[in-house]
Amino acid sequence: MLITKNIKMADVIHTNYFTLSVLNRFGIELGFADKSVSEVCNQYQVDVAFFLEIVNTFVDKDYFPKKHLQTFSVKLITDYLQKTHHYYHQVKVPEIESLIEQMVNSCYTQKETLVLLKKFFTDYKLELINHTHREEQIVFPYTLALEQVYSSEKPDSSLLKVLETYSIDIFQNEHDNIEEKLFDLKNIIIKYLPQPKDSKLCNKLLYELFNLEQDISDHSRIEEKVLVPKVREMEKEINKRFFKN
Amino acid sequence: MSKTSFIIIEKSYLIRKGMASLIEKIPNTSLIHQFDNEDDIKSLDHLEADFIILNPDLLSTNVLKAIKKIKNNTQLVSISDAAISISKDIDWAGSIFIEDSQNTILNKLNTLIGNRGSTKIKSELPEEISKREADILKNIALGFSNKEIADKLFISAHTVVTHRKNITRKLGIKTVPGLTIYAILNKIIDINDTE
Repeated sequence: MLITKNIKMADVIHTNYFTLSVLNRFGIELGFADKSVSEVCNQYQVDVAFFLEIVNTFVDKDYFPKKHLQTFSVKLITDYLQKTHHYYHQVKVPEIESLIEQMVNSCYTQKETLVLLKKFFTDYKLELINHTHREEQIVFPYTLALEQVYSSEKPDSSLLKVLETYSIDIFQNEHDNIEEKLFDLKNIIIKYLPQPKDSKLCNKLLYELFNLEQDISDHSRIEEKVLVPKVREMEKEINKRFFKN
Repeated sequence: MSKTSFIIIEKSYLIRKGMASLIEKIPNTSLIHQFDNEDDIKSLDHLEADFIILNPDLLSTNVLKAIKKIKNNTQLVSISDAAISISKDIDWAGSIFIEDSQNTILNKLNTLIGNRGSTKIKSELPEEISKREADILKNIALGFSNKEIADKLFISAHTVVTHRKNITRKLGIKTVPGLTIYAILNKIIDINDTE
């Protein structure tokens, strides 16, 4: 379903409850009665066009944002992406860690294998941290500098220098598949792990892993379908304007 | 793990979507791409698929060329109005008509998949890794590179890569740390062997 600004915000969640985490990142709280998407967005001072792009990209894998690309700033996108990173590190990852920890503690016969699982996830966590850190230290600053150059008549020469050090193509090439290890972890638990006594914990852990994997893949889609095309457009324009000769 | 893959080439959005949803109903299939016009079809030769479901009306010389470039183990299935007879110089593996019922179409697709994949289906049976693959897996889990493993076992690096692909396909595990856990759980290596 294509979500538009006149749809009730409550129906957005009914359509796909994964959108809850998106609302959360925008700082929108529940209890919006029958207010429409645009009313709720205005109330929380959220850019409606941007909200719609994000939520539609999130809900529909085949959704291709086109029309609104120029209406909101790169800053909005990177702020949102950064909030997602924050959510992974502050909420999701600790949740999963605590579940694994509980499994280790509640189990006596096969502690060893669960400790392995724990180590696997700890390594994964480091990988995730490195991945998001790189985006925040290199990719986002680059895109923000690009936007500054894009919107000024006579950009600072130091800013132009920044632009020469990176390009969005590099990002696209090196944007590795961070979900792969989660996929493995799920499969190990589903197919190979001797089942612990407490299968409830195990199911809960699996559920959380599926959840995180889904969220990360939606997150990557937003980077690739919203951020990358917009930045690429700006790169082209800037090349025409400043680096023509 | 390897699924039967499809490409749909059809102008009508409704027919494409309908076809896609039918393919989705069949287990172990995947729809790689949908095309709705000639321009995009030029990029066809990058794709690999088991079946191309194609509206014969779209068979211009360009499309023909693009299709012929594709590996010859891709089979063509026509999708058309029942009244139109298809007689271009192409080998059709089957034909689907717009007015076919859901069951008819599903049966046709299943037959096509069955006919084609007799070897493929065999290899989809529950698989255990072979003795040789277990050797390779052991070395992967111990942290050796493809090159090192090749030297140790007196085989080419290329063979190691092939074994690795097969191991990953059989176990459903892609990464080295994942494979390591599998190896420990199945006593292929000892937990103390790592690090």
